Amino acid sequence: MRRIHPEPTGRITRRLAAALLALSAATATFAAPARAQTAKEIVDRVDRLLRGSSSHGKVEMRIKTEHWSRNLSMEVWSLGTEYSLVRVTAPPREAGTATLKAGQEVWNYLPRVDRTIKVPPSLMMGSWMGSHVTNDDLVKESRMVDDYDITISFEGRRDGVDVWEFNLVPKPEAAVVWGRVVEQVRKKDLMPTWVRYYDEDGTLVRTMTFSDYQRMGGRLVPAKMQVVPTDKPDESTTLIYHELQFDVHLTKDFFSLRNLRARGG
Amino acid sequence: MSGRGSVWWRVAWRSLWRNRSRTLITASALAFGYLAAVVMVGLDDGMSAELVENGTRLMSGQMQVHAVDYLPDRNMQNTIGGDDGTNVDSLLARIDADPDVVASAPRLYGGGLVSAGARTEGGLLMGIDPNREEKVTTLLSTLDGGRAPRPGAHEVVLGSEMARQLQVKLGDQLVLVAPAADGSLGNDLYTLVGIFQTGTREIDASFALLPLSDLQGLLAMGPRRIHEVAVDVARPRDIDAIAAGLGRRLEGYGPPVQVRSWRELRPDLAQSVDLMNAWNSLIVLIVFGMAVFGVANTLIIGTFERRKEFAVVRALGTTPLGVGRTVVYEGIMLGGMALVAGALVTAPIMWWWHNAPPVLSSIVGSFSWSGSQWRPILRVEYSVKTPIVSALALFLTSIVAAIYPAWKATRVPPADALADR
Repeated sequence: MRRIHPEPTGRITRRLAAALLALSAATATFAAPARAQTAKEIVDRVDRLLRGSSSHGKVEMRIKTEHWSRNLSMEVWSLGTEYSLVRVTAPPREAGTATLKAGQEVWNYLPRVDRTIKVPPSLMMGSWMGSHVTNDDLVKESRMVDDYDITISFEGRRDGVDVWEFNLVPKPEAAVVWGRVVEQVRKKDLMPTWVRYYDEDGTLVRTMTFSDYQRMGGRLVPAKMQVVPTDKPDESTTLIYHELQFDVHLTKDFFSLRNLRARGG
Repeated sequence: MSGRGSVWWRVAWRSLWRNRSRTLITASALAFGYLAAVVMVGLDDGMSAELVENGTRLMSGQMQVHAVDYLPDRNMQNTIGGDDGTNVDSLLARIDADPDVVASAPRLYGGGLVSAGARTEGGLLMGIDPNREEKVTTLLSTLDGGRAPRPGAHEVVLGSEMARQLQVKLGDQLVLVAPAADGSLGNDLYTLVGIFQTGTREIDASFALLPLSDLQGLLAMGPRRIHEVAVDVARPRDIDAIAAGLGRRLEGYGPPVQVRSWRELRPDLAQSVDLMNAWNSLIVLIVFGMAVFGVANTLIIGTFERRKEFAVVRALGTTPLGVGRTVVYEGIMLGGMALVAGALVTAPIMWWWHNAPPVLSSIVGSFSWSGSQWRPILRVEYSVKTPIVSALALFLTSIVAAIYPAWKATRVPPADALADR
């Protein structure tokens, strides 16, 4: 039988999703840059940069595709890596649309029809709100250091900045979609600058770049992240943080289907 | 020359009737071979026609018109005429004006979620014009309950397997969610008005049908946007020529489109049909290959019986070639008689078998093969080619069968034969 695919939007890293949904209040501080840290420790720190106990923020998502561009404004809450809630606040046509992640499940609330819908397993690889983020990206919660073997593939100056480049190869038993991940991190403040994702054939699939490093919620974070799929260089999804707080008071009850429906969170 | 030639025809004719029953039996064998070849090939053609009919009638239609780059990716944005779309009514009118086209139906596709209560399944949303669709495919005639959706009434029809998984019944409310063409998330409430059951699980488990205009609304697309026109033609056998003809007709008219025949859309089906056609040649070869030996046997016996006669005519000055020729003439005349008899018997049998095919549903139920539903009907299909090819094969058989006896006849030594040595 024929297959009809929804508009292909590509996939984005779980890290962008993690950034979106699990803004970190990790205990790690970045006051003392790396001295004698191992590659594994550095990658883990970067990984935890945008994860943590709880967070609340306001984020703008700019999606650009060949056929349309749109900006979504969103409010985001997270608790650990298990729970997160995203509510769209603009544009008006989609305001109130919300996504709840609880463990391995993703639910959407659609205000127009006033229904909550659980995303079926078959559509976990589908696009989230038309972006380059998949539902699956939202659910993944394991840490990079658990899934990948990490080595330093470059250390030195690039474009006037001292950096490390890490090469991440999946462990044989790891259930990951990538064949290889390459990540570049600035030495002076341990900020990531870019991550490149390769498929199992070694082809570059997408590139994620970080910029606009700012202090938010008492922590230095890259306030802007952009993902560009390699086969569609004119398309991108960009996340821009406008507000970010860490260690806010949230309980599991907050991440309920009832609250998913409630306007204004 | 012609006078002397006709003498040998007369001689051959008389020789044939020296042993009437032997000749009749041999001619009957050839006639039966002709019947067998034509009917078996007809049955095989009937099966392949049934295969094509069932494979295309359910969903795909026999031809499809798309935007040039729509297949194989089926990118949602690649509607006919791109973002601007096309005047659907005038495109359909243009297609319908093709004399080979019986009917056409516009379609729009979207991927999304179908949700009812706490259950949600991924589904393929298909926007159709119900009136046109039922002339091209049987999708809507397989409705197991309910009716076709009406435009503008927020009505939807689901496959039986999807309805089962969602645990919905007629009259229930469904939510359809689909990424729209403008990047937004289309979502709306619909009423389930029909459940179709094609018997093909992939279709029954994944498709949701709604009126074209309703799906255009859900996907934030205007009324000018469609992905596909499915086309039914009168003679599926000539599909390649018809598809090329429609392609030329649509060239330079409106947006660029590509016309694909079922052979391109369903290569699996095309391969099955090609295999069956190859089998046809083998049938003819086997049937007449067997007949060659029967005919040769008859003619050889006939020539042995007439050794003395051949010797006499040789002694009177006939060339060996002249003697051999009369044996070949016998073969040709035998073949001619067999052909006339075979055709007279075959024609009514073919007519009956085509128009009143035996239905084997008491023996086997309908089944699925090569991705298409089969009705257990053994219908023969006519073709112009098969009777002609079989006739040529029959003549060739009688000539080939005569060659060895004829050669033997030329070798009869007149003196020895006359002296009974």
